[in-house]
Amino acid sequence: MGKKIDRGFARKLREEIEIWEREGLVSPILRDRILAYYQMKARFGGPLATGKLITVLSVLGSVLAGVGVILFVAANWSAIPVWGKLAVIFIPMAASYCLGYLLRYERGDFPRVGAGFILLGALLFGAGIFLIAQIYHLSVHFANGPLVWGLGVLPLAYLLRFKTLLSLSLIVLLIWLGMETHSWLSPKAFEFLGSVPADSRFISLFFIAGLTLWGLGLMHRGYEGLRRISGPYIVLGMLCAFGSGFLFTFDLYGGRFAAPVLWPFYLALSGLFLLSLFGLALSSEKPLGWVWEAVFLLVLLGLALYLTFLFSGLPGKGHRDLVLSANLIYALAVLIVLFLGYLREFPVYVNIALLFFVLDLFVRYFDFFWELLPRSIFFIIGGLTLLIGGVLLERKRRKILGSFKKAQDED
Amino acid sequence: MRIKFFLLILLQILILAGMIGYRHYWVETGEKIMLRVSPVDPRDLFRGDYVSLAYEISSLDLDRLSVKELFRPKEKVYVILEPETDGTWKAAGVAKSRPSGKKFIQGTVAFEKKGSSRWEITLKDDNGNLHHLSPRWWSGMQTGARVTFCLDQRGRVTSFAKEDPSRKDPCRGSPSLTGAIADIKTTPFRLLQVEYGIESFFVQEGKGRDIESGRIGQELKVEAVLRKDGKAMLKALWVDGKVFH
Repeated sequence: MGKKIDRGFARKLREEIEIWEREGLVSPILRDRILAYYQMKARFGGPLATGKLITVLSVLGSVLAGVGVILFVAANWSAIPVWGKLAVIFIPMAASYCLGYLLRYERGDFPRVGAGFILLGALLFGAGIFLIAQIYHLSVHFANGPLVWGLGVLPLAYLLRFKTLLSLSLIVLLIWLGMETHSWLSPKAFEFLGSVPADSRFISLFFIAGLTLWGLGLMHRGYEGLRRISGPYIVLGMLCAFGSGFLFTFDLYGGRFAAPVLWPFYLALSGLFLLSLFGLALSSEKPLGWVWEAVFLLVLLGLALYLTFLFSGLPGKGHRDLVLSANLIYALAVLIVLFLGYLREFPVYVNIALLFFVLDLFVRYFDFFWELLPRSIFFIIGGLTLLIGGVLLERKRRKILGSFKKAQDED
Repeated sequence: MRIKFFLLILLQILILAGMIGYRHYWVETGEKIMLRVSPVDPRDLFRGDYVSLAYEISSLDLDRLSVKELFRPKEKVYVILEPETDGTWKAAGVAKSRPSGKKFIQGTVAFEKKGSSRWEITLKDDNGNLHHLSPRWWSGMQTGARVTFCLDQRGRVTSFAKEDPSRKDPCRGSPSLTGAIADIKTTPFRLLQVEYGIESFFVQEGKGRDIESGRIGQELKVEAVLRKDGKAMLKALWVDGKVFH
């Protein structure tokens, strides 16, 4: 397998090697040999300067090719005999996996392109499930499709320790959760937020699902063998928890957040969350400040379960106390995540906390000033605040992320 | 690593093959029945590349079937079937538990509506003949209004619209009746809407609308395969004798 080197590493290596030479740690000959070694790597396909770009292109290429196969089959449905349709599913899928494995692990000269092919194989597996369901009119329970896809890809993500495969599997399983629970609910009971259908019962469900993924991510960080794939759990979990948590800051308290029929989902997710915290407590290398994070997540889960099981909805609108409390908890959550990100030097925590901070600020500005200010002034002030605030925030963000880098350099 | 990788790929292939095998087993061991697709407003029939199918057994008149029980949404029900002379099957009853000794199809309650309306329209054509028609829906036209009804080959209303002399062949070749509304009779009844999981049929991209434009007045039937527990799976769609798999 080829040694992976990227642009940042190459630049740092050049800077460091000058210092090593000055300090007498390496001779000029050794310095040249080391530099030549890495330049050789770059010349023979090593992703020295374009590693990220190759990853992005490979993923995009995989998605486009996968969509192309589906569209080809859809557009030539009658013209293709059944065996042809099946061949279009099985042959590209098996070929993508084999080619991906060959390029990444056997020959090792195109590891990122190989990873792209393996991702394409997983996408074609999903496409295969839906195409077979369509060829044979297997529409009995549509939510089973994403469930089989997500669970089928998950073991592969663990074997290869692939973040892209794991992200795909988790996203598909979240889609399944939405489809499956939706099929358990009566369609007539949908509520609307403005013109958008937003059933408040999904808010608490996805909030708990987000916390569960977040907890699983923390547990993965505690074990060296799993740390590499903790990212997708944490990122998707945070996005899901903050995204649905953000909806709690609106005046939706006239409705219920729970559907009694969904209790197996609430309990299963909460149980998985508690197991993950238990697993984290038993792990050998816990992340810094994990106790605080675990307690914070437990409190949030407690609040979500309270809303789910005990809150039966208050009549009417204008529940200012509840909305204010939800906003305070939301702001506290942003601060805690920002603090944890700073403590552990995790850019992803800082970025997600700032993203949801800005989102909240923007929406609250609309909430409070829309009626108070003349429209022109509203938009001018809003625009200027966003522009200036955006610049200041981006500078602050870079400063924080820069300080992580500096600290790592000093270490 | 290599063995584990290929074993997992094999597992994915087996999952896909299992889906195909399961369907074949279902078709081989199940009982094949023909179901009539009910006339629907053709504008709503084809959405994209799926054919949305509503069956005659999808909307059940609980009063006519003499069913007294109440039903909740998502409840599992067994619709008892009896044969018609043309080889299709119609609903003869609804049960909450599995009926023994009778042919049945398993479905899920979408909803029960107490005050649903059944319309009986009397139409007087230009020769003074009276026709009694039972459209599945009605939209606000009063007695005296001139209306064109499009019919299928069994004389059932597939669609209707206010008479428009500027439109030539509004029913696109299918039988039609035009005249003045002589009487509108509305009878309330208890409607049970049931879903069987066979309500969509996949066709080639862009093909749905081709079938739609040529299907008004044509007879639509579906060949379904019933498992022992009454669960149905689609096998083929028949449009006037032409079969789509």
